Amino acid sequence: MGLIARIIEDAGISTICIVSLKPIAEQVRPPRTLHLAWPFGHPLGEPGNRAQQMTVLYAALHSLYFAEPGEILEPGWRWRRETYTIPAGWEV
Amino acid sequence: MTDDWRNRSLKDLYRLTGQIFSQLPALARLWGGAYRALSFDTVPFTPMRKPLTEARFALVTTGGVHRRDQPPFDMVDPRGDPTYRRIPADTPVADLTITHDYYDHTDAERDLNILFPLALMRSLAQHGIIGGVADCYSFMGHIEPPHLETLLRQTAPAVASFLKQEQVDAVLLTPA
Repeated sequence: MGLIARIIEDAGISTICIVSLKPIAEQVRPPRTLHLAWPFGHPLGEPGNRAQQMTVLYAALHSLYFAEPGEILEPGWRWRRETYTIPAGWEV
Repeated sequence: MTDDWRNRSLKDLYRLTGQIFSQLPALARLWGGAYRALSFDTVPFTPMRKPLTEARFALVTTGGVHRRDQPPFDMVDPRGDPTYRRIPADTPVADLTITHDYYDHTDAERDLNILFPLALMRSLAQHGIIGGVADCYSFMGHIEPPHLETLLRQTAPAVASFLKQEQVDAVLLTPA
């Protein structure tokens, strides 16, 4: 996936990758990465958890503006036992 | 005959490890640490030129998502399938499905937003939080040589050029 992000970024489009495996991102070096150590198949979290999904989406979209080239951002959210609220202004 | 057996065993192995990794992220991380991906010293970089409220977004996933009326990804070839599916921005979520045997997508089928947040992105656009949503693209991850070459030289550049033509400002990529 990071390889596809690099090709899209090369074409002049900004990209942000959500990944669950940091070692692969360290090798492939996507332009911007949000690392969440969560199970495969769940990049935005658990089904039905809108607050969690929106929190991840908010972090991903905003990181487009501040991540340095190749940076891997790590919010450190645990897979469970984390309380999420929908980011302010994103109550849609 | 030997190749058949090898292909079938490989697929069984990928399917099994994918299912186990879906349940046990710690094991997946161990595997990720040992995995040799293509590695790069440099990073391509395009700064964002528009604020969120004006930026046009597309999603790209490697989770094997496709419309039910599109051909499924090839799960017969253990080296993967480097083709892509275009998913128009207004596709109803009910028209989408997932073909990818190497991870557990039961939860994503219940709520596609956890893998391919097209519905969430459309809501953000309707509320003016982002500028818009363009047509999206889906691949099936797990692509090995010789198909990796096809991905890097043909299919991924083709998707990049469609995104460019469609005046996309930013892309969110989500994995399996």
